[in-house]
Amino acid sequence: MKKTLLTMFMCLYISAPVFALDGNEMLKKVDRNLNPESFEMYRKLINIESDGSKKEFVMYSVKKGKDKIASVFLSPASEKGRSTLRIGENMWLYIPNVGKPIRITSLQSVTGGVFNNSDIMRVDYSTEYNCEKVEPADEGHILHLKAKANTVAYDRVKMWVYGKRLLPDKLECFASSGMIIKTLYFKNIKDFGNGIVRPAVIETDSPLYKGYKSIIVFAKVKVKDLPDEVFTLNYMSKVEGLRQ
Amino acid sequence: MKLNLLIMFFLIFIYIFIPGNIFAEDISSDTFDLDFEIPEVEKKPYSFNAEFKISETIKGFDEDSLLFNQKYPNGRDDYTFYQTDLNLKFEGSYQISIVKLYVRLNGALYYNDAEDWENDRRTEEAYVSLLPGPSITLDAGKKVLKWGKGYAWNPAAFISRLKDIEDPDATMEGYYVVSGDFIKSINGPIKTIALTPVILPVSRHINDEWSMGRDTIWGCKIYFFAFDTDLDIMFLSGEEVKDRFGIDFSKNISVNFEIHGEAAIVLDYVKYITDQQGNLTEKEYDTKNYLLGTRYLTSHDTTYIFEYFRNSQGYSRGEMKDYFALVEDGYQEYINSRSMAKISKSRQYGSQFYNKQTVMKDYFYLKVSKKEPFDILYFTPSVVCIYNINDKSGSITPQMTYTSITNFEFELKTTFLFGKDYTEYGEKLNDYKIYASMKYYF
Repeated sequence: MKKTLLTMFMCLYISAPVFALDGNEMLKKVDRNLNPESFEMYRKLINIESDGSKKEFVMYSVKKGKDKIASVFLSPASEKGRSTLRIGENMWLYIPNVGKPIRITSLQSVTGGVFNNSDIMRVDYSTEYNCEKVEPADEGHILHLKAKANTVAYDRVKMWVYGKRLLPDKLECFASSGMIIKTLYFKNIKDFGNGIVRPAVIETDSPLYKGYKSIIVFAKVKVKDLPDEVFTLNYMSKVEGLRQ
Repeated sequence: MKLNLLIMFFLIFIYIFIPGNIFAEDISSDTFDLDFEIPEVEKKPYSFNAEFKISETIKGFDEDSLLFNQKYPNGRDDYTFYQTDLNLKFEGSYQISIVKLYVRLNGALYYNDAEDWENDRRTEEAYVSLLPGPSITLDAGKKVLKWGKGYAWNPAAFISRLKDIEDPDATMEGYYVVSGDFIKSINGPIKTIALTPVILPVSRHINDEWSMGRDTIWGCKIYFFAFDTDLDIMFLSGEEVKDRFGIDFSKNISVNFEIHGEAAIVLDYVKYITDQQGNLTEKEYDTKNYLLGTRYLTSHDTTYIFEYFRNSQGYSRGEMKDYFALVEDGYQEYINSRSMAKISKSRQYGSQFYNKQTVMKDYFYLKVSKKEPFDILYFTPSVVCIYNINDKSGSITPQMTYTSITNFEFELKTTFLFGKDYTEYGEKLNDYKIYASMKYYF
């Protein structure tokens, strides 16, 4: 009896960290499946109001490594030339009229609507979150993520990962109070070429914005070698020059 | 006057009563073209952007204020001032290989009671850039170089014109410069170092605001990004200008809390001070100006921007009282004897030194803005307060912006001034201002 209990205890003791490790490894794979380490992309962000009216923004973005992303708005005319930069939890906004970068925070939104800066300037999930628990689901897993620092926009995230490709299907984002802030739905898995197969659409809604919805549509996601100097304040006004 | 009021009411009417969905496409989310082609993906060598603004300003004169008496010693028939502004801003660029041309033009046509229709055209920026790679940029021409981290004030912005504190985000006119940007990213605690050297030539034809004769002014800014903090060190030097040195920083303390600061030293600064009789004296000293500020976002999406500015180039309470006494004496002398001598002198000192923004030593700036209250998307009401700590006067400006319609922006703001006699805001020309504008970007 003692031997059986000891064996069970040992199994539980050993399996817990292994499971946690698997979760974090799984999260890293989800990151790499969503995008390569260094790439460029175009995104259309659509904010839909409760009456069906919409507002659209088009952005060109480049990302390098786990935590560097720079973007520039191409349209509408009122936003054209605005650029954003994120390095880790540091975020800046450059407005051509203002003429210098200003620091912004992840909970603000440069576009209005349901997406905040953290959603628009998404870095790798594994950079911001630890996976605390992996739970089996019908066709995959649910990863329970906890923010590594209090500077991360969402304290906890519940990520549904489906399929062999380990791509996210749904994300529920929670504040530290436990309140759900928003839900993200990943849709329309598309082959962008060069082995990049990922959801082309992310939809979000939020109990804080009843009746409103925001959508991001991805296009031309391509591997691109980028020098580190692109991800600096001095380069923010020139990001559009990277387009070819 | 009737035309002005009509324009004001028209702007307010469309601001309040036209909902965004009139211009929006009424489609359900299920019918979006999600496998889309983005027209903007095709890059062109040229780019054009323009902004048209129509605005109406109404100012209520404070007929008891000293600056009103200084400007209008005979009084006015109408104590309300109306101005209609039509403004067109054009921005264009053209790039061939590593050479890029950029220009920004600003043209204004305005009508008011005093001047009838007048126009003002200026080239705000026009320069050529050489872009051999992401690490190096060389620019030559008329360019705006905005240094410093402050929102309302920038004591370390050595190569910029003074910001309009009532509209800190407005575009500015640059100076003719030759400048460079050399960026180096490295691994380690210091992640980025960037060097921005600037040469500002002065002659009778260009940059003549800087000195009387020919001169070459040198400046440089060194930027570091280290320990998640932005840090700049800058200086400016020339034969005809006072040498100055500065430093600034900004850092996000948490997900919703940012702090920033600036400090600058100007060596041998000369301040011109008048006494009550109008005798002007010079005072030469090293000035130390600094600013501390914060930006804080609450869980209810309310943003607070707060700044304290120490302007040691400014006038003390006693020095300003002497100036106001000169203005009052000049006005009384004119009323009693029709002599313009003293009032003219006060006008001259006013336009050169005293009747300017941020003319005293210690100020607070507070802006509170609430994003999209009552679930009204793209609607941002805010309140701005500027407070002169030295004489306890200031201004309060409630304002609203609405950007629901793509490429349109509506703004409505009202400014109220407060302050006792012989205070900066208490003696300003007007005691309230109403402003409404509509901007269209294309």
